[in-house]
Amino acid sequence: MRIGFLFALLLISAFYTYVAFVELSFLTVSGRLGPGFFPRLIGVGLILLCLVSLPQDLRRMRLDDVMTGYWSVIAMMALLSGGLVMLFSIVGGTLAMAIFLLVTLSILNRGHHLQNLAIAVLLPAAIYYLFDVWLNASMPEGMISLPI
Amino acid sequence: MDLFADLWMGFSVAVSPINIAYLLIGAMVGMIVGIIPGFGPSAGLAILLPITFGMDPIGAVMMLAAIYYGSMYGGTITSILLNTPGESATVASTFDGFPLAQQGRAGPALVMQAVASFVGGTIGVIMITLLAPAFSQVARNFGPPEYFLLAIMGLLTLVVMIGANWRYGLISVLIGFALGTVGVDLETGQGRFTFGSAELIGGIDFIPIAIGLFGLGELYYAFYQGLHASGSGSIVQYSKQSRFWPEARDWVETRVTMFRASLLGFVVGVIPGAGATIASLMAYSVERSVSKTPEKFGKGAMAGLVGPESANNAASSGAMIPLLTLGIPGSASTAVLLAAFLLWGLRPGPLLMEQNPEFAWGLIASMYLGNMALLAINIFAIPLFVWLVKIPYRVLAPAVVVVCTIGTFSVHGSITETWLMFVAGIVGFFMRLFGYSPAALVLALVLGPLAEEALRQTLTISRGSFWIFLERPGSLWIIAITIGILLLVPLMQRLGRPPKLDAASGEED
Repeated sequence: MRIGFLFALLLISAFYTYVAFVELSFLTVSGRLGPGFFPRLIGVGLILLCLVSLPQDLRRMRLDDVMTGYWSVIAMMALLSGGLVMLFSIVGGTLAMAIFLLVTLSILNRGHHLQNLAIAVLLPAAIYYLFDVWLNASMPEGMISLPI
Repeated sequence: MDLFADLWMGFSVAVSPINIAYLLIGAMVGMIVGIIPGFGPSAGLAILLPITFGMDPIGAVMMLAAIYYGSMYGGTITSILLNTPGESATVASTFDGFPLAQQGRAGPALVMQAVASFVGGTIGVIMITLLAPAFSQVARNFGPPEYFLLAIMGLLTLVVMIGANWRYGLISVLIGFALGTVGVDLETGQGRFTFGSAELIGGIDFIPIAIGLFGLGELYYAFYQGLHASGSGSIVQYSKQSRFWPEARDWVETRVTMFRASLLGFVVGVIPGAGATIASLMAYSVERSVSKTPEKFGKGAMAGLVGPESANNAASSGAMIPLLTLGIPGSASTAVLLAAFLLWGLRPGPLLMEQNPEFAWGLIASMYLGNMALLAINIFAIPLFVWLVKIPYRVLAPAVVVVCTIGTFSVHGSITETWLMFVAGIVGFFMRLFGYSPAALVLALVLGPLAEEALRQTLTISRGSFWIFLERPGSLWIIAITIGILLLVPLMQRLGRPPKLDAASGEED
């Protein structure tokens, strides 16, 4: 996986450098340093560093690339976090937070139904009060908003 | 005498009922931010930044600064009771803090760490009071070449701290620089890497990136390590009734340690990129080497707890010097503070103390008050924080996700930025997993536009010649200091290698 991450970085760096060289000029019409000057330095540096690191990562691949963590929990949390952002646009911030907390806690904190329900109701209510009422800050408004 | 007059004016600005209330809230929130493993001051500051939008600038910055240095106090509580540092700067506090708690001395350890933090923080603020005006005077002679070199010095210091994975550190820096080039080029007005998107014209805001990398990324990493499965079963119990207060020998043994470690911590903190983590590890190493009983270190030596605690708090004060006098943040946390200053139209730099004395001295004065408040909160609110420590991570984590997400949205009311934060969280997890440096990325994102502008101005002045960096005394001094750091840090790291290093957070502060 480590090598995959580095390879992805190399590809993105190559694309960044390509854009820096093709679309951005090195000098302005008046002969001063242009918008492409710094990105070109960065792009070339990134590609070189990724290439230098590749052999080292290939060596490591055999030694330590057996990742034994809680991958399923991370995948679930990432999925649910993404779902929370998506729900912002649909049901609005307060309801989205309540749904997210109820679902996530039901999976992570099994058996504590009352505690999970209390957190899922009280925390979004407190955040709504803090951001929307007290601080007058932006809260996501969905297509189906709560009548509050 | 001017110094006292300025400081007095600072106190007159800082001491108002509303400002004191903000300061106390900031100190309390900082403690809580420090306690939550994997949720460092950078994420805490970035999330709470939008909350301060409606406040008076001085009160808001006082609160944010209190969150910053308050987190140093809070992180140690979990180090002592759980053997899990709340953040990387309190890793060294586990070495002797947890053994002390296991020996039934959790109470004295908690009180001594509070006093050590107070002494470190206060000595740090005294040093700021004495040195900040002098630093401002020196910095007035700086031009674009010096500013470019200072930015590079901070980033290189951060990279060299990473040690064996320095290539990953450099890659992280360049990714941060690359992200900083997105948006309209201010000199020519040409769009760069916007691909026709209106959302990218203004560039990539660093707040969603910081919250994603340090909030969600660290949270995913904590899940990867199984923190949600461990609950709070390993917490050491302590009694408030019996043997809560330190004994006379604890004070006698550590009276010199507090001052020595505070001075060391402050000096390390002033160096951009060095920060509180390296300061605390160095202080631990120094205390072990000068101790008459080095064999006690790692088994519950009070000096082994007091040294790192004084050092990390003094370092967090020291890091305010380059921020206030040069406008150069030395860590991810101070980068968020810089963003906060800029939001209120305050440009930190050599002229800050002259043009905005109420703000600069008000902030410094508030740090004296903040450290006093934190000492009192630390000692008298210990039961509250122990209760917080007992909340299982599986309950805490979903709440952190909610706060990160809503905090990001509320900055500009942008769903795109919220998605950006989410993507940064996933990238941050992989960066943490494979040894890259999220802190270097965030710092480079903040310093990138400054470094680019300074470099372009420098080369315009010199008509394209890089020799200009060797022709100016200021530049030469910065180059010499950078070379010194690059040579000394690996040496110091080798000398100061701790007994074990298992950071809960990858955030370098």
